Amino acid sequence: MANSPLVARPTDALQPPKSLPPSSGGTPSGGLPRSARGQQIAALARPTMDLMEQMNEDEKNKYIKGKKLGEGTYANVYLGHSRLDSSTQVAIKKIKVQKEYQDGIAPDAIREMKYLQKLRGHANIIILHSVFSSKDQNLNLVLEYLPLGDLEMLIRDVDHVRYGAADIKAWMGMLTRAIWWCHDNYVLHRDIKPNNLLIAADGEVKLADFGLARSFADPGVRMTANVITRWYRPPELLFGARHYSGAVDIWSVGLVFAELIIRAPYLPGNSEVEQIALICREIGTPTEENWPGVTQLKEYTVPSDVVPVAGKDKYMGRFGAVGSDGVDLLTKTLVLDPRKRITAREMLEHRWWKADPKPTPKHDLPKKTAGAEEKLAADLKRRNGMVEDDDVRGSKVARKLDFGAAR
Amino acid sequence: MASEDARYRETSQFQAWSFSPAQLAAMREKTNAIARQRIAERMLASASNPPTSNNTSHANTPDPSGHGTPNPTENSTPTLPDFLKPEEEALLVSFYVSELLRAADHLGVPDEVRATATVFFRRFFLTNSIMTYPPQEMILVALFVGSKAEGRFPRIIEFQQKFNTKQDILAGEFLLCQGNRFNFEVRHPFRALMGATMELRSYGDIDEQRIIAAEKRAHEILLFSPLMTDAYFHYTPSQIMFAALSLADRGLAERLIQETFHFVPPTTNNDNTPAVTPLPGLENPGIGRKEGGSKGITTNDERAAIVGPGIRDKVMGTIEACRNMLSTELPERKSHWTSEAIFKSQIRPVRKKLTKCRDPDRWNLSELQRQRREAGVRRADSEERPAASNGAKDAAIFGGDLSADAPEKKRRKVDGNGLEDPFGGPL
Repeated sequence: MANSPLVARPTDALQPPKSLPPSSGGTPSGGLPRSARGQQIAALARPTMDLMEQMNEDEKNKYIKGKKLGEGTYANVYLGHSRLDSSTQVAIKKIKVQKEYQDGIAPDAIREMKYLQKLRGHANIIILHSVFSSKDQNLNLVLEYLPLGDLEMLIRDVDHVRYGAADIKAWMGMLTRAIWWCHDNYVLHRDIKPNNLLIAADGEVKLADFGLARSFADPGVRMTANVITRWYRPPELLFGARHYSGAVDIWSVGLVFAELIIRAPYLPGNSEVEQIALICREIGTPTEENWPGVTQLKEYTVPSDVVPVAGKDKYMGRFGAVGSDGVDLLTKTLVLDPRKRITAREMLEHRWWKADPKPTPKHDLPKKTAGAEEKLAADLKRRNGMVEDDDVRGSKVARKLDFGAAR
Repeated sequence: MASEDARYRETSQFQAWSFSPAQLAAMREKTNAIARQRIAERMLASASNPPTSNNTSHANTPDPSGHGTPNPTENSTPTLPDFLKPEEEALLVSFYVSELLRAADHLGVPDEVRATATVFFRRFFLTNSIMTYPPQEMILVALFVGSKAEGRFPRIIEFQQKFNTKQDILAGEFLLCQGNRFNFEVRHPFRALMGATMELRSYGDIDEQRIIAAEKRAHEILLFSPLMTDAYFHYTPSQIMFAALSLADRGLAERLIQETFHFVPPTTNNDNTPAVTPLPGLENPGIGRKEGGSKGITTNDERAAIVGPGIRDKVMGTIEACRNMLSTELPERKSHWTSEAIFKSQIRPVRKKLTKCRDPDRWNLSELQRQRREAGVRRADSEERPAASNGAKDAAIFGGDLSADAPEKKRRKVDGNGLEDPFGGPL
């Protein structure tokens, strides 16, 4: 190594993280230097293929495509498994060419690939095993197969699914770790909601859908305010903030927390104006006193009757099922001023996790298998960052993403 | 070793796109050799071969209507041209990177876009020969995809207006992504430089004007030298940053290294130095992975392994090597690459050679994409409905592109075959 300028191989005092998937897992970055030679030799044996095409073909051949799980306008989803190990199931998401997007590969596809690659190696982020192109130049994303649906269907099925404080704590722990990992890697997710939280066979919750994600912006670089599904969108974005932080995700996490407790969306506004009104009514009216500078935000408008910020006792009445410590954490995620909102790391250090009851072990978490496969397919074939019109929520979420503008 | 290093080693930049010089040279030779062979095959095929129905689903299907790619050696026994050598390819890649950088200036893109586009371009021409796909077009493709990868999503019309090219950019987009193995994250040294200068300021004894001048020059170097050389393939972003800073002001770079690798084996047991100072400009270590890591480091041996003189000397050696590489393409070399004399004497002869030996089937990106899409549609058709289908008949009669219509969608819905069907199977 001393005579090679190549980046030094680990001789770590620190152990490499154990949560990494095996490098043979077939990520597109699975080791060109080591395997390239073999592929090149193979390439020579197969006429008409260039090296790049051959590498793509090898990637594709690692998986066998099975039945179609779902079909959508944005993508088709197939069940598949590894050729080497048929017990390793995968979901293959074949993204269709978007007729209405005239500017090539769509932003959500690029973002999903980029950030899933960047964030891989964490137990609570969906694994992107591989990306390859099929002959008709469609993108195929080989994703972790998560057969137990999503958190939304558990929350909604009030008649058949029972869960308690220990289960909520376990799920929230997984969500918080996922979002901590995103932020620790300088990635904003910007679309956290229950149906983006998929459930693995062993009960582990995985954050999916990175179609709206982006890296932390440099100071002075503007970002779009038009992100995050409305019910989970924080007040600073509703007021049109163009410089924001990981706090936008924390607000969404708080609303998922609230929804897990009351088993209904906490702030289901039908328009942005209504969303702001709901926040003011339930949480408090943002003012210069509780949020210095808020009135300077471009789209700051609040109802004229100013509601004081809710105290903990108000939350205890509705959310007391998670106990006093749980409510304390909830209120800290729903602080109006993003600078005072709790961070993901601070969340992980909160005392609630250590208080009784202990979080349910993931294998013992409530499950719902009926309809889970369909739900997975519905989640994956959905356009990233989008709510379909026929979504159960029915609300039309007009999200005019201005991809042309600087963000 | 520090946990930032471990995290860098998880990136696709390290895992898929970092090589030793010998590996890189071997790849380039191999790419060149494969391209010669393929292009020779295709030239011979398109010169002598009448259309047959059993060719593979690749785009080299001869176009029966005759308006396919130009055929330079029609009806005669073709003599193969003189192909480019690997070093000639490398020269052209460098030339086109310099062109790319000029196009980036013209477009007025941020530093990250400029650098990402360049890295994409270089990676693409690592597994593809410059004889196979047109570098002039791939420059713009790289800028287009580089913008997207950095979170800016340009309208294709902007590129049309600025560069007066149309479909080729979109046609090459997918190819370029594939050539990059869909690795869209590229780590650059720009923020590292900002971090390093902040660190230098924190020492409190360095003249501010000196820091400002060094940062300015190092930044200028980062915008050119690592992009014109193979630096990204061999060195980490922080190493590249240190090399640029060293070229700008060697004293400041060495000071930073000395301060970072501060560990001196103690003569007594009473050692109060803090456990680890993270490398400036690198990410902070994360709490999860740090556990059991640097927090637990207590012995002198462990400290020496992270911030001791052994590591320091190794790091300085690497930075010196990177510095040497960057110094071959300092920003002043811009005029070299734009010089008319150089162009005439060095570039033009190779380009002329290239026009004779380029791939007859893949040079025209738009045409290639059209053919691949058609092949894909035909393939999808035969895959979903194994028996001779109306769609195939229609395609035979009407020329092929009908299957994207509504009946096709309906057919897909009643799909039920395809179980265990290895995709990528033959047509």
